[in-house]
Amino acid sequence: MSLSQLLSTTFVQHAFYAVTAVALAAGAIGYFVVLRRQAFAAHAIGHVGFAGAAGAVWLGLSPIVGLLVFCLGAGILIGLGGASLDESDAVVGVTLTAALGLGVLFISLYSGYANATYSILFGQILGVTSSDVLLVTLLSAAVLFVLTLVYRPLLFISVDAQSAEARGLSARTMSLLFMGLLAVTTVVAIQIVGVLLVFSLLVAPASAAEVTTSRPLYAAGLSMGIALFSAWCGLLLGVWIGGPVSFWITALAATSYLVARLTGGLRTSPRQRSVA
Amino acid sequence: MSVLEMSDGAVELGGRTVWRDASFQLEAGTITAVLGPNGSGKSTLLKVVLGLIPLSGGMLRVFGERPERGSRRVGYMAQSRVADTMSAMTGRDYVGLGFDGPRFGWGHDRTKREVVREALILTGTELFADRPLASLSGGQRQRIAMAHATVFQPGLLLLDEPLAALDIAAQSEIVELTSTVSERTGAAVVVVAHDLNPLSAIVDQVLWIARRQVRSGTVDDVVNEATLSDLYGHPIEIVVTPRGRRVIVGLEEEFAHPHPHGSDHSHENEHAHGHEAHLEGAHVHHTPGDPR
Repeated sequence: MSLSQLLSTTFVQHAFYAVTAVALAAGAIGYFVVLRRQAFAAHAIGHVGFAGAAGAVWLGLSPIVGLLVFCLGAGILIGLGGASLDESDAVVGVTLTAALGLGVLFISLYSGYANATYSILFGQILGVTSSDVLLVTLLSAAVLFVLTLVYRPLLFISVDAQSAEARGLSARTMSLLFMGLLAVTTVVAIQIVGVLLVFSLLVAPASAAEVTTSRPLYAAGLSMGIALFSAWCGLLLGVWIGGPVSFWITALAATSYLVARLTGGLRTSPRQRSVA
Repeated sequence: MSVLEMSDGAVELGGRTVWRDASFQLEAGTITAVLGPNGSGKSTLLKVVLGLIPLSGGMLRVFGERPERGSRRVGYMAQSRVADTMSAMTGRDYVGLGFDGPRFGWGHDRTKREVVREALILTGTELFADRPLASLSGGQRQRIAMAHATVFQPGLLLLDEPLAALDIAAQSEIVELTSTVSERTGAAVVVVAHDLNPLSAIVDQVLWIARRQVRSGTVDDVVNEATLSDLYGHPIEIVVTPRGRRVIVGLEEEFAHPHPHGSDHSHENEHAHGHEAHLEGAHVHHTPGDPR
């Protein structure tokens, strides 16, 4: 089959719509993950999702049900327990290990073929059905919609928590809200790149954007752009050359961060300048 | 009417009394320094005024009313800010967050641009307001933070350790700015500090907090051997240098826990830097005879 024929097949088109929705949501939320230094929380929520998916499979439910329940639950726990960004590490760590333990238990209880679990771990972009596409698109759109409404207060509390609280914002409410958005985004991204590589879309594009631009809104936009570029090109390369699509997406996202750091490093480091 | 009036104020945190019997007033256009050992409740005082922590006793009126959280009439400059280390945020962006940061939704206020510009002009920050915060000097960042805190020209301005981590030149720059802002806006300014000397030229009133007590009055009323010895419960000596700086001997408490709030690792270097400046420039606690 030629590339153009491949691209016109239904499963590739489904995958195309799905990665587009996921990349936009993950790129935008990822900006705040990086800004709030909550990469560990993002990582944990993905792994907690794995336990949820394994549990759902064991109970004979759709993995996405387990993902949603566990990811949102973990998001609420982390959001409540770690409202102060300084103290969240322990809460995240305990939530993460407790859930992974459950995941191990669920897998051992489930006697069937573990294909569903495998796709949760590594993503199954080319197996996306039209109902998956609809769900992924709706959830991503919901995340982006809410994010546009809370963008300013979330930015404020992330960059200057004390002033923001003095001006009437609640750190705990904002933390919960953000963790909720992150949880939904993670559930969606897991469909495409899997638990183990959820980071590739959440952290790498945003980190690349953060070192490249000087304005928050540009950085968030650029983060979405890099995520979209990585996702589209990753899908294309996976279909064209072969190899797992999630590998290509991860490789491209990581490369974009590397390029941003290298080109950014050519300029004088701002922090060094300020010390001098 | 005073901008702020507290009588017999007391605060408890976790069942422990932080301070009590605090009575003082702040008048418009005056500058008040808040001094005392680490952990004595200086920042707590600011949080009480901001309405973030309630008094456990006594009365507090801010503009004649109970303190209201989120009031635009009270400006606040926090001690440390994530924003300061960001290469993806300009000073103008940060000051803009002071204007509409707390607001949810899509609306955009047309007056924002002009209000932010006025705050930048007031604080003399327009020239570097479009550079990333991470690329600015410590003094420039504090000026931007001052613009952020004064964006609504508040009648009461609370500054938490604005001189910490600054070298001597930047310290005097910020002291001068504090005085200018107070003069131009008529705000009552409260400055939490470790050292009175850099501020002494502009300070109208001193609040000294130690051992759960608060003493207030003019510099001479409070910063004398009798009052401080009474406050600390042991003899305090004050030596005035020929240039009018006060060297205060006997505040041992300060040596026991130099930086108990030092959990913020990103600022460790700045702390060390600030400490050096402290030694050179003088003052409250380091003297040749001190055990250090």
